[in-house]
Amino acid sequence: MSNAIVVCTWGEERGGLPGGAEEVLSLAGSLARSVGSDLVWLTLGAQAAGVAETAGRYGVAALHQIDDAKLADIPADVAVEALAQYCEQQSPRIVLFNQMAATRTIAPRLAARLDSAVVMGVTEVAADGDTFDITASAYGGDTRVVYRVAGAGTPVAAVWATAITAECPEAGASLAVESVAVDLSSVSERVDIVEPAKAEGPKLEDAEIIVSGGRGLGAVENYKLIRDLAEALDGMAGASRPLVDEGWVDSNHQVGLTGKITKPNLYVAVGISGASQHMAGCGAANAIAAINKDSEAAIFQYARFGIVGDALELLPELIRAARS
Amino acid sequence: MRIVICVKEVLDPDAVNNYAIAGRLEIGDDGMSLTQTAIPRLMNGFDEQALEAALRIKDTGVDCSLTVVSIGEDPSKILKHCAALGADSVVAIKTDAGALDGHGVATLLLAQIEAGGGADLILCGRQASDDDQGVVPALIAERLGMPLVTFARAVEASGSSLKVTRVVPDGDEVVEVVCPAVVTVSNELGEPRYPTAAAKIKARKVKPQVTSPADLGVADGDLAPRIQMIRQFVPTVQGNCEFIDGGSPAEQADKLIARLREESLLS
Ligand SMILES: Cc1cc2nc3c(=O)[nH]c(=O)nc-3n(C[C@H](O)[C@H](O)[C@H](O)COP(=O)(O)OP(=O)(O)OC[C@H]3O[C@@H](n4cnc5c(N)ncnc54)[C@H](O)[C@@H]3O)c2cc1C
Repeated sequence: MSNAIVVCTWGEERGGLPGGAEEVLSLAGSLARSVGSDLVWLTLGAQAAGVAETAGRYGVAALHQIDDAKLADIPADVAVEALAQYCEQQSPRIVLFNQMAATRTIAPRLAARLDSAVVMGVTEVAADGDTFDITASAYGGDTRVVYRVAGAGTPVAAVWATAITAECPEAGASLAVESVAVDLSSVSERVDIVEPAKAEGPKLEDAEIIVSGGRGLGAVENYKLIRDLAEALDGMAGASRPLVDEGWVDSNHQVGLTGKITKPNLYVAVGISGASQHMAGCGAANAIAAINKDSEAAIFQYARFGIVGDALELLPELIRAARS
Repeated sequence: MRIVICVKEVLDPDAVNNYAIAGRLEIGDDGMSLTQTAIPRLMNGFDEQALEAALRIKDTGVDCSLTVVSIGEDPSKILKHCAALGADSVVAIKTDAGALDGHGVATLLLAQIEAGGGADLILCGRQASDDDQGVVPALIAERLGMPLVTFARAVEASGSSLKVTRVVPDGDEVVEVVCPAVVTVSNELGEPRYPTAAAKIKARKVKPQVTSPADLGVADGDLAPRIQMIRQFVPTVQGNCEFIDGGSPAEQADKLIARLREESLLS
């Protein structure tokens, strides 16, 4: 199916779908409609339970799967080889990914193989004939840059899924999966995992309520108040980057552009200024409640609720009120 | 071990943030560039940490040479800083970096690495803080046929292999890879060192080796960008905050929790 708009995903996260799948399909679907191309969804490795049904809802024309024992855990060398062969066979018009940690390796390496354009942090894609105008976030979100991609070849784009609202269409029949054959016999992974990461407990990315602390907490011992409030609200504790850099908390607490990209129902930001790079990881929250002693702090521009005050005076009271 | 560190000069992201927060970040008449000439230029933070990773390898007694490469009209300020920190040689590829896309940057860096006799380890920051793209290390790795390890918090060299601790979504992962390889460094590596006063004075006299695309045998056509910026704009943020004011901290806390419950944001 040449000239298609291809969405490539792998893995399974909450809701039985790969992370960001609905957001990327929403962007890709409207792009496909605007240029009259087919929307194709390609999954790598074992297919998540909800894919076939979701493909139907989003008007996917074909559901492709590349599965191979070597693709378990999506090692980059194997994934890039599989995708390069796929693109050679299928000649897509563009390949779109959800931007996650692994995509940062796979998308640009694929572009190098295809000798084609690559854009990360994408928030919008428009097309006109052979030309794509791809909008991406820059300076952590302080600006957006529109890049023009012209000419032949298959551009590769990694979509910043939390910047997009999924369409969530209702009707649609499940799609049958078509297996696409590629030859992975000669590729072997060069990066050897000697100690895998131990996923411990729930992830910030999945949390419904997050309470995060920033430099305004003043001292490492005050972070306990953040943990206590998070617990009282039945949520999880996060942090801005300076707390990670200072070694106050482990790096898996870092919310932001280069940390966790979260989408909770409620995000409570305490002593956090609201720098764009932090907001990149929490701006998609349904609602933000901010506590900051500076009434001019940027965080209040994003917040639905705000208290101008001292975090150390307010936190114990919030913990008490939350427990009552 | 030949280590090459690729560094980029960027506009100070904190200054850009401050302008943005104050609502004073503006785009010039060309529709593309930031007009605030007062924003200082400095070395991309993650690149400082990439150099720090190389210096830590050197600290462990590994026999290695550190070469820092940067592209730009005049990257000598940041290159002198790298020399003061302990880089053995610093190279400037003189050209208008703004006219290049990631492929063009990778083409020039590759040409310089080859001209300099190759590399066993290429260290880069995980992304640049201006365009946040982070594609150059991957483009270099793929074109040199080297493996790529991203988001390092620690890099250890032993013999011809590397042990890298990576920051991944599930925590820390330890990987091993045989050199030559490309590694990108993340902020979790920790604070980069400062040069000593004596080293700074000595570095003032350092003259970066200056080269150009033509010197490296790279034709203009090889640098033709696949993506071109046509516009930059400042997205608007809709401020709509309900401030809980008045009363003691206890009263404010009660009110906030009550409002969050009313809005079903808390159970
Ligand atoms: C390329 C790049 C990537 C980055 N990635 C990330 C990232 O992933 N995540 C991230 O968080 N940051 C990231 N940053 C850093 C980011 O730009 C900011 O520097 C950082 O988010 C600021 O953290 P902060 O808000 O805790 O600290 P500050 O900006 O110092 O703000 C502290 C706030 O606390 C308030 N305050 C002080 N005392 C009190 C008190 N007693 N009570 C209440 N309020 C008080 C102050 O008014 C201020 O608003 C990145 C930066 C760059 C350049």
